Amino acid sequence: MRFLYEYAHYAGCFALVFIGLYIVLVKHNLIKVIIGIGLIDTGVNLFLVTTGYIRAGTAPVFSRLAEKPEQMVDPVPQALVLTAIVIGVSVLALALSLAIRLYGRYGTLDLRKIKELKW
Amino acid sequence: MRKLISLVLLLVVAVGIGMSLSGGPFGAEGERDGPHFRRDQVNFGRYYVHEGVQETGAVNIVSSVVVGYRGLDTLGEVTVLFIAATGLGMVLHLRAAGRVEDGREPASLVLFTGCRFLFPLILLFGTYVFVHGHLTPGGGFQGGAVIASAFLLVYLGCRERRLNERALGVTESVSGVVFVVVGLIGLAFCGAFLLDFLPRGTAYLLFSAGIIPVLYLAIGFKVGSELGAIIDKLAERAK
Amino acid sequence: MVSPILLIAVPLGLAFAVLLVGFISRKLVKYVPVLAMAFNLVVSLLLLPRALTEPIIVRTGSWGPPFSIHLVAGPLGLLLASLVALIGLMVAVYGTDYIREGATRMYHVLYILLLTGATGIVLTGDIFNLFVFFEILCISSYALVAYRGDKAGIESAAKYLIQGAIGSSLALIGIGLLYGMFGTLSMADIARNISSVSPLTVFASMAFLVTGFGVEAAIFPLNAWLPDAHSSAPSSISAILSGIAIKAGIYTVARVLFTLYGAESVLLFVAILGLVTLLIGEMSAFSQNNIKRLLAYSSIGQVGLIVFALGMASVTGVTGALFLIVSHCLAKSVLFLSAGYMIHRTGSMEISSLDGMGQRMPLSSLCFTVGAFSLIGLPPFIGFAGKFTVIQAAVEQAGSFFTVLMAIALVGTVIEGAYFFRIVQRLYFKPQSQGSPGETKGRQEAPVSALIPIVVLAVMIVATGVYPKLLSMVLKPAATDLLNKADYIRHVLGG
Repeated sequence: MRFLYEYAHYAGCFALVFIGLYIVLVKHNLIKVIIGIGLIDTGVNLFLVTTGYIRAGTAPVFSRLAEKPEQMVDPVPQALVLTAIVIGVSVLALALSLAIRLYGRYGTLDLRKIKELKW
Repeated sequence: MRKLISLVLLLVVAVGIGMSLSGGPFGAEGERDGPHFRRDQVNFGRYYVHEGVQETGAVNIVSSVVVGYRGLDTLGEVTVLFIAATGLGMVLHLRAAGRVEDGREPASLVLFTGCRFLFPLILLFGTYVFVHGHLTPGGGFQGGAVIASAFLLVYLGCRERRLNERALGVTESVSGVVFVVVGLIGLAFCGAFLLDFLPRGTAYLLFSAGIIPVLYLAIGFKVGSELGAIIDKLAERAK
Repeated sequence: MVSPILLIAVPLGLAFAVLLVGFISRKLVKYVPVLAMAFNLVVSLLLLPRALTEPIIVRTGSWGPPFSIHLVAGPLGLLLASLVALIGLMVAVYGTDYIREGATRMYHVLYILLLTGATGIVLTGDIFNLFVFFEILCISSYALVAYRGDKAGIESAAKYLIQGAIGSSLALIGIGLLYGMFGTLSMADIARNISSVSPLTVFASMAFLVTGFGVEAAIFPLNAWLPDAHSSAPSSISAILSGIAIKAGIYTVARVLFTLYGAESVLLFVAILGLVTLLIGEMSAFSQNNIKRLLAYSSIGQVGLIVFALGMASVTGVTGALFLIVSHCLAKSVLFLSAGYMIHRTGSMEISSLDGMGQRMPLSSLCFTVGAFSLIGLPPFIGFAGKFTVIQAAVEQAGSFFTVLMAIALVGTVIEGAYFFRIVQRLYFKPQSQGSPGETKGRQEAPVSALIPIVVLAVMIVATGVYPKLLSMVLKPAATDLLNKADYIRHVLGG
């Protein structure tokens, strides 16, 4: 029980990751697979930020009002997630452009039908 | 069949993650409350939060981490976005040339005027976000994304307007070169790439924090123009 | 003031500036990659002697390790960086003429960035930075595979992208688990802390990291993307993917397993996995009719052999693996580059269209043969030294289990010999079958810009094969660099 209480906030991130993984493994429509990749990226970024969380913490920005470094959440995962979000966006943009060209060439987005390359 | 295998696989992975999370203190929260809180161990978060303002001069600790302590990562990130924009341009390059307007109705007067009115305000907000990146939450990437959303608004609202592709390309290249050159200046004169060679100044002022505002300027322009180029390429209708 | 950071910063700056160069003159654009890679080659060779004794630690930003990102340019890193620069330079020269139609400027930009990503991977000492450079490598390769814009290219690029994106996300989960546990991202620091935690706790993060990075390294269950991607890309990119991208993946997996985790117990599993990869790769290559797919499956086979050699975890074993890496880079590049113009000439990728190429393109066929023989492991070539070292390492291992495994690996080599000999026989001894319409008859070699790299690489294969001592002087310290975790930590963190 204590395990669930302490780690409940990680459950959400991993739920997103698993839903995304399930979509990528099982669905055939290319756009759905790309959405699945986006979900996995979102889930992983959320997980990274959550590792830095402190209960009742504040943002790691000093201002003239609040100057207590002990109450601040960890700034490093936030920097990592900045990078990871940009990388995720780049992969999605490239994937969508490939989907546009695939649709133009094959006329369908069903991955089971896009099998020009044989063994 | 495939569904069953995927579910079993995911279950195994979930059990593995659970095992990993429960062994010992995990995350910043665990670090704080757990009995294993060791002061002598290296811990990035605590170190940056305590020493950050004094070492980099930036009040926003995330900015000092992103540009100061981990500047090479940010250079890599900017490069990834550049690769995406270039790759997208390359993949969509060979589509039938010529933009065929296929009879979309032109925007109504209210929409058109509203978008034209909002466009400079959004640009202003985006610029504010990245210029003040070292003082308030924000920074180059966030500001650049807001600027790109202004371009998207113009595409969606005022439908016949187009961006000047050449200008976008030049802005992209020049900002990228500026970033690398600033780093190399640090290498040439002070011994380490991306060294902070401008004066730190006093905290909370606009002109403080060494090279962080300069780099954020370059990043803001680069990200804004790159995302704008991606939107431009994707919005071309081809037949 | 020569510092390893220049190996990353200067090509990056040049890649950003390509557009501006294009405004000055269209023609100059294709020489920018040549310039960047030549610079890298010179700098890495200059730094190599210094790094053989003690790795060069470079800090970026104003603070030292572990609080800032630092580069660890040891003998292994600089060896791989010089290899990347050499192959990059040769293929860039080849590409000045081979890439003629399409979005050429973008090709050259992405090309430089791919190589910068690979250089960054082997030089960095921080795990998230490793991930960022890994992504630079992967995303440029997704875009470059789709360069031709034909049906096969776009389909392979899409499938490669999907598998690669999942792999990267898994690796990122692994990095997140490590950061949550230890609060630090510097590889030396994590290595120091891992020994104080029970292995079961870190097993999940190791599994995620190895699976994530293993997609790019093309280890057995994760290499479904490879045959399609390598055969549908333009030949210069196939050479780079087979030669460099896979090696960067293998380096990452090796660094994670040896330096971060020091995982002695997992290595047997890794060796067996390598063996399975080898057998599957070679057997699939044997039944292929398409020359580029054959070469792609052969790459899978060689990766299996390299992973098997790494799994032996002794100095001789890792030296053998590094020998194989160098030999495979050189040989596979020669094979893909010479096949590139042969395919361009006949317009078809079938092996039957290569009949009689020995008369029509003599120099290319000769270099192709040199590459093929080196891969099989025949004596005067570098492949022989590599395979011999691996056999030596297997024999040194206590117990006969490894000798049995080695025997199975040799079966793979025999199959490889069979299909390569078949091709060489067709090149030289079969008369030309009815040529494709519009093809010029008689002798017509590939253009000079293609011949220079092919001949240089072939000469290097012969030279390093005849004098392997030159290379083993560098490879032995590189192998100890990879294996010796305590020394790595000591050099970076000091004492």
